[in-house]
Amino acid sequence: MTSSNDPPLRVVHLTKRYRLERGGELEAVKDVSFDVARGECVGLLGPNGAGKSTAIHCITGFYPASEGQVFVAGHDVWREPKRARQELGVCTQEDTLDSDFDVTDQLVRHGTYFRLPWKVAEERAARLVARFGLSDKAHDPIESLSGGLRRRLQVARALVSEPKVLVLDEPTTGLDPDARRALWDILKEARKRGAAILLSTHYMEEAERLCDRIALLDKGRLLDLDTPSQLVEKHVGRAEVEEEVRPGVVWKRAPNLEDVFLKLAGQRLGEEAA
Amino acid sequence: MRLPDWAWGVACVWLRYFAVFRKSIVYYAVTTFMEPVLYLLSFGVGVASMIGKVETEGAVLSYRSFVFSGIVAQTLLFQGFYEGAFGAFVRMYYQRVFQAIATTPITLSEVLWGEIVWGATKATVAAEVVALLGVATGDFAPASPLLLLPVCFVSALLFSGLGLLSAAHAKNIEQLSYPQYLFVFPMFMFCGVFFPVDKLPHAFRVAAWVLPLTSVTSLVRTLTLGLPLRAGALPILAVWACGLVALSHRAMIRRLVK
Repeated sequence: MTSSNDPPLRVVHLTKRYRLERGGELEAVKDVSFDVARGECVGLLGPNGAGKSTAIHCITGFYPASEGQVFVAGHDVWREPKRARQELGVCTQEDTLDSDFDVTDQLVRHGTYFRLPWKVAEERAARLVARFGLSDKAHDPIESLSGGLRRRLQVARALVSEPKVLVLDEPTTGLDPDARRALWDILKEARKRGAAILLSTHYMEEAERLCDRIALLDKGRLLDLDTPSQLVEKHVGRAEVEEEVRPGVVWKRAPNLEDVFLKLAGQRLGEEAA
Repeated sequence: MRLPDWAWGVACVWLRYFAVFRKSIVYYAVTTFMEPVLYLLSFGVGVASMIGKVETEGAVLSYRSFVFSGIVAQTLLFQGFYEGAFGAFVRMYYQRVFQAIATTPITLSEVLWGEIVWGATKATVAAEVVALLGVATGDFAPASPLLLLPVCFVSALLFSGLGLLSAAHAKNIEQLSYPQYLFVFPMFMFCGVFFPVDKLPHAFRVAAWVLPLTSVTSLVRTLTLGLPLRAGALPILAVWACGLVALSHRAMIRRLVK
């Protein structure tokens, strides 16, 4: 049963363990719980190997959870995958664009996987192509697109079904600053439309700028979940922080999420998880 | 009419493959049909001119008719296996098509069924074209292509499943050569495509009948040339088809889903 009070995305005690090829078991996600409200953007922030992508694979229903549940628009993503994914738009970290189709066909075909009538999918594809600045590439093959344009197209594809929940796994990795800004604007629009956004990133600036709340993840554990300013306030206070930017040169700056992460996890965001 | 969700999912995947096939129809026509046609010309015209007749299952046939029906079975083997193995590996490993579709309401299981059914469809069409050529040359009875259809499709599912199972276990595309050289080519050479299996020594004959292509070849000859039905052929085909399709589906899910 779903009710109108259900948050679009609800993650309840999510735990994910899997066997490693070299033997043994890894607990990649440990008892993680959070909600994402309508129009809200929650960031999953953590270093490489923190469990962000595994959590996202479970949240999108590609991996089954070892324990816990994930609900998208009130539907259990593993027990009712079709209903849940009907409301879900996903941009994975890996490039999964279908190189057998050009830019527009790619979007139209993806729309039909959501049972959109062909004509509706074509209209939406045309709108997205224009909005994402891909009009002059509308009928180009995927291989001819630069890395930045491919990433943009992958986010556009996640939006073709006009999902209630948008899950983006490091959508701006490898993008130049202009392309990153363009994508941020598009995500702002999606939020205005009421989409709940879960965004995984290891860019602190991106998380602070886009996210209403941030879930700090390390070694699969949720360290804390709060607004960026509250996280800073709670864990490092407001006093200026001294940082040696190059040998012998120390700058003073306002504390940020990097400092929070360093305090809670004992390592910086850019470092690999141990 | 609204299709059930699972059937619609499988159909969507099939239609995606068909759209790609249609876009590159000339390429696919050449790569799908040239090989059986070359075998037909080489063995059906060249070798047949030296051999003339062949005796099998208590009947005497022209070698051309014999090898023509063998090529129908060989086409099912090669087309089913190559689409299931190399085609699926490229889509799964390089293009990540499976992963992209499986984030939509179409489940990974439906993607894999679509993959197997597509491979089977392509192989069936290729084999039916060879059968039609056999009718055109007077080697096969006119009703043969129609009668062959269910056997071709089940056999094609089997070989497509074999291909997908190979793709699920391959760490890289080169490793697909193992099943190709250790399983597909031996079947091609020793399972009755070019000579009757009953001419082999006993141990080889038993081994040949354990392999699925011998049953496929035997059933194709029954339906095209009117040779007697071998009792074991249908059960062997059914067991291999069910087993390989189920195993390939399971192996691919185990590979992709942690």
